[in-house]
Amino acid sequence: MAKGGSNRSRLLLVLLLVSSLFLITVDLRGVNIATGLRNAAQTTLSPVEGFFSKVFSPVGNFFGDIRNLGSTRNKISNLTDEVEKLKAEAALNEDIAGQVNQLKGVLDLAGRGNFQVVAARVINRGANTTFKQTITIDAGSTSGIARNMTVISDAGLIGVIKSVTPSSSIVLLMNDPTFKIGVRIAGTQSIGVVSGQGGDSYLLQLLDSAGEIKEGDILIARGSEGNRPFVPGVPVGVVSEVQSNASSITQNADVTAIADLNRVGVVAVVISAPTEAPRTPLFPKPQPVITVLVTPTPTPSPTPTR
Amino acid sequence: MSQIRIVNTTLFFLPLLFIQETLVNRIGFPWHSFSIYLSALLVLLAFEDRTGALVFGFIGGLIMDLTPGSATPFGQWALVMTLVGYLFALNRESIGDFTERPLALVSFISISAAISMLTFLFIGLLLGQENGGISHNLSVIAANSIWSFFITPVFLPLIIRFRRYSLSNRDLI
Repeated sequence: MAKGGSNRSRLLLVLLLVSSLFLITVDLRGVNIATGLRNAAQTTLSPVEGFFSKVFSPVGNFFGDIRNLGSTRNKISNLTDEVEKLKAEAALNEDIAGQVNQLKGVLDLAGRGNFQVVAARVINRGANTTFKQTITIDAGSTSGIARNMTVISDAGLIGVIKSVTPSSSIVLLMNDPTFKIGVRIAGTQSIGVVSGQGGDSYLLQLLDSAGEIKEGDILIARGSEGNRPFVPGVPVGVVSEVQSNASSITQNADVTAIADLNRVGVVAVVISAPTEAPRTPLFPKPQPVITVLVTPTPTPSPTPTR
Repeated sequence: MSQIRIVNTTLFFLPLLFIQETLVNRIGFPWHSFSIYLSALLVLLAFEDRTGALVFGFIGGLIMDLTPGSATPFGQWALVMTLVGYLFALNRESIGDFTERPLALVSFISISAAISMLTFLFIGLLLGQENGGISHNLSVIAANSIWSFFITPVFLPLIIRFRRYSLSNRDLI
């Protein structure tokens, strides 16, 4: 009896394993079973995600806030000082105010690059079991968004649209290990490739072996053919440390992203962009220059009288 | 195992995925994040007999494959969770009756979660996927295990109660 049960279990195991492998093979062969199902799941989830994004955002930031609170004494004392100011602003919805600020920054960046953008709110983050760095935004194909469009924040590049449903889209963040982008160094114009590492740091591989990299170099997106997936001129990151390895063929450097992917609330999807790179650099943000014009007024000289 | 139980349990998995995607993913954990779905599925598998562990492992994995942000082939999690279900079934006697030892159960779940994720990565590696650096992935897995250890006890009674409710009279004998 027990042996019969055991045989049945083994048969079941083989059946289920074969089914799983069959599904994987079919999927890898290009029959998109998953895409339709996942899109359906995303379409179902996105309205609820949007709702929870409004309701749940204070709780969602709970752990992060605690961590930041204990990070430095200075920060605590600064925060204490700010409490008084915050009391005065208590009537304002901080969440909305923050989003408006980010939106302003995003539109500012998009305006400088002559990009046509669709602004969107981040409504969710990807699950850790996918091992992918993704976010979900609340705008989809009905807003004109399609796959492989560049996504920017107020500071710079965020990622690329990976999949789209009518009301939401999934963005592959630039820190995903599969993410790679062609960049040029703002000063020397050397070109290279920046790739995500899964965490907060990125790797720059310079294609030009004779090129120079130094700390603080600003990296700007080179752009792709037809502006998909990357539009040119978007700030990507800043070189934080140059790796010195004599045996390496290419020059490598660690890069810090310009945009803070952990704090992004509002993004913009670039729907169309100029075919050429913007003439004016998008980074650093131009500081207002105060120009004082002094026009000397000639003092009236006495008219000579004869 | 009755068909109605399979349907009930499948219907139980769907809201779990829903909670995972809409609520848990939104929480900014100090160290990576946590999969409530994976932990709940493993709790359920730990209590099942051979057939139950295999069937629910497969179904639970298939539902996990529906995760919108996922870029892996459909069926990969199903394969992983079937294998994990088999491991559970194989060591059913050694695992013993966890209902009497909640701490042991929670530890077991957190270790199993790590094994499941490692298996997922390993299969992904065989399929040629690029899933990032080893240290980063190990960090994600370790974080998930730790969060599983601390958070699973919160919803553990609910899963046990659901399972008891879903059992037919025949299963209870």
